[in-house]
Amino acid sequence: MSTSSIADQVGRAKRGVGVSGSGRSAGPRKNRRLRAKGWTYIIFTAPALVLLLLINLYPVIYAAYQSLRNGTLIQGGDFVGFTNYIDTLVSGNLSPAFWQAALFTLIFTLVGVFGSWVIGLVLALLLRTRIPGGGVFKVLLLLPWIVPVVVSAFSWNWLVATPQSPFPMLAQSLGLGNVLFLANPTLAKVTVCVFKVWISFPFMMMMMSSALASVDNNVYEAAKVDGAGSWQAFTQITLPLISRSTYISWILMTIFCVNDFPTIFLLTGGGPVGSTTSLVVLAYRTVFENFQVGPGVAIAFMTTIVLIVVSVILYRQIRKASVE
Amino acid sequence: MTNSFTGSNVSRRSFIGLAGAAASIPLLAACTGGSSSGGGGSKTLKFWNMPWGNTSFNPLDKKITEAYKPANGLPAASYQEIQWANFTQTFSSAVASNTGPAVSSGGGTQAFQFESQGAIAYADNLLNSWKNNGLYADFLPGLLDAMKVPKGYAAVPYNLDMRVLWYSKSLLAQAGANVPTDWQSFLDTCAALKKIGVYGYGTSAGAGSFTGGHILVSWMINNGGGLFDQNQQPNCVTQENIDAMNFVLECVNKGYVDPASPTYTSANAQSQWKAKKFGMGFDTAGLAQNVGGAALDDLVVASPLTSPNGKKGALYFPNNIMMYKNTPSQEGSEAFLTYYYQNMSPLWTQATGIGLPPLKSITQTKEFQANANNVKVINEWQPISKTWAAPGGTALFLGVTTVDGTPAMDTFTQSILGGKTDAKTALTNLQNAIKANMKS
Repeated sequence: MSTSSIADQVGRAKRGVGVSGSGRSAGPRKNRRLRAKGWTYIIFTAPALVLLLLINLYPVIYAAYQSLRNGTLIQGGDFVGFTNYIDTLVSGNLSPAFWQAALFTLIFTLVGVFGSWVIGLVLALLLRTRIPGGGVFKVLLLLPWIVPVVVSAFSWNWLVATPQSPFPMLAQSLGLGNVLFLANPTLAKVTVCVFKVWISFPFMMMMMSSALASVDNNVYEAAKVDGAGSWQAFTQITLPLISRSTYISWILMTIFCVNDFPTIFLLTGGGPVGSTTSLVVLAYRTVFENFQVGPGVAIAFMTTIVLIVVSVILYRQIRKASVE
Repeated sequence: MTNSFTGSNVSRRSFIGLAGAAASIPLLAACTGGSSSGGGGSKTLKFWNMPWGNTSFNPLDKKITEAYKPANGLPAASYQEIQWANFTQTFSSAVASNTGPAVSSGGGTQAFQFESQGAIAYADNLLNSWKNNGLYADFLPGLLDAMKVPKGYAAVPYNLDMRVLWYSKSLLAQAGANVPTDWQSFLDTCAALKKIGVYGYGTSAGAGSFTGGHILVSWMINNGGGLFDQNQQPNCVTQENIDAMNFVLECVNKGYVDPASPTYTSANAQSQWKAKKFGMGFDTAGLAQNVGGAALDDLVVASPLTSPNGKKGALYFPNNIMMYKNTPSQEGSEAFLTYYYQNMSPLWTQATGIGLPPLKSITQTKEFQANANNVKVINEWQPISKTWAAPGGTALFLGVTTVDGTPAMDTFTQSILGGKTDAKTALTNLQNAIKANMKS
């Protein structure tokens, strides 16, 4: 089939004309067949759709319902309107903790996303070069992502928690004194963020490796002929060509970071003095330790909404990158 | 452009759907069951118990449960082990959906929470019946009182989680220090231990470790204070409590408290005991067993300290077993519990690692008497120990759930042990947080 005939058929399809037809509208029999086909699709996809709605939509609707009530863990409670939201955001006893947690979530997410992306990208670029035993390196570099977070958290606790742990001992030997990696609020934040980068960079490395593999080497060769240096090739060719995957990885990692409960809870429990409490940890502790179901779910609900907004904004960047 | 990750084009709609699904995870994390539909009692009486001890505890407990032969017409009992991880959700969702147990243990304040929500069957009839078979009189002093709420007994005491003062014989000998008997001698011993590079106030208040907060309240109770008044309202900013917290802050500022302890897990604290970095400190009655090795012989329970007010006291947790209204037979629940309490002694005599027993008869067995530390805890600490309700009362109530392992108590504890606050400010903040949580 020639190119022109394909283009012709596509044009006919766009105009609603059948491939071999005369352009007349479809008859009633054909309409019935199409309708029957439509129902078949619906029937076949219905179980999956129902499951998806139950899994995704039901919790959202039920959370919205709970966030507007003053219920307990086993009772629905009374309708209180937006009181839980107002108390959390503005006037209630949870408000300072909420904003502290929101700030830490922002820091944790920014460091988690961009820290892991930079390291992941650098490693992906390094692994592009042919080095002996590259496969072994790849597997070793994937370990932080593969190992269950519970194991990682205990390992990191062993590394930093007590003055006799390896890192505090190292700091001591370097003359930095007794460095309290988890007990000092600022250092605890840094430690938790570094831990997050450590367990996340392999994911970014995989994403970037996959994106880099799709970039044609001829483009680099052409750029080299035109006199482009390594830095120019990286900034003008590599980054733009992998931008779509980059944005997708940022979106996914943003979701991973904001929703990350075990990393923080297992390493610091949100302390000391709430310094490493993220919004998800705060929501959990509010519901299951303070037994304040309405405010806790309101925090989770607001977190979800912010996540959706951020995801949509980043997704628009993907579309923009696709157009460019 | 093709997405190199999935190998296919991603539409905006499908992507937003995916993002929304992933973003709903925090909602799933915080979303709880609240309906009360479905469920209902089956014909078997469900007994849910927690892993209170080592790996031998639940198999033996199950054996005891399944050996129950009910009288005619009463239900048999089934056994279910419930993990501590997320146990609040487990119980709440089960009770809300009427698929929960008829009888269970659980968190120390769980019965009082469910009682306030109308899910608990009071144990008054059961305890009355125990007056005839000797069980009632067998409970250690004060335990049953701790279970009484205005409408009746919310639960039955099951095992005791004590907070006691431990010291290392070898380290105290090395430091030439005496075993403390009051607050001043505690400071003296700490000072002597500090000279050999050992902390005298070993504690932990990090992820999942609430011991640090328990000990702060113990100091308050020791000084005649505590968190709640006789009206079960928070009354934290009292002179007794301020003095007690000033004493702890003095320990912190003089370097007697490990500065990393605000974020120590229980395992971290145990490793410090093992590494002989802690020479003295407060912990559970099972510390020596938990640390293990040489500590079994080296760690010794001290006698309770006398405070400057001339008082003795500490915080303890009478863990309990509760009966639920959702049962195939209330008579059956009571009959099962009578059987269970009459036959549960092997859980202690066979060293399953469960907390201390609530019954005098078990504490008098030769197996229990063989452990000198446990005997000291029962003889000297249990009689002077009080619940969260101190100093206002002995019985637990719903309000104590605002301090039992809550963020407010964690923040208070970590502030004090971090030494970056003063007693009055920290206690005022705690008071405000408790009040706010009780209101909501």
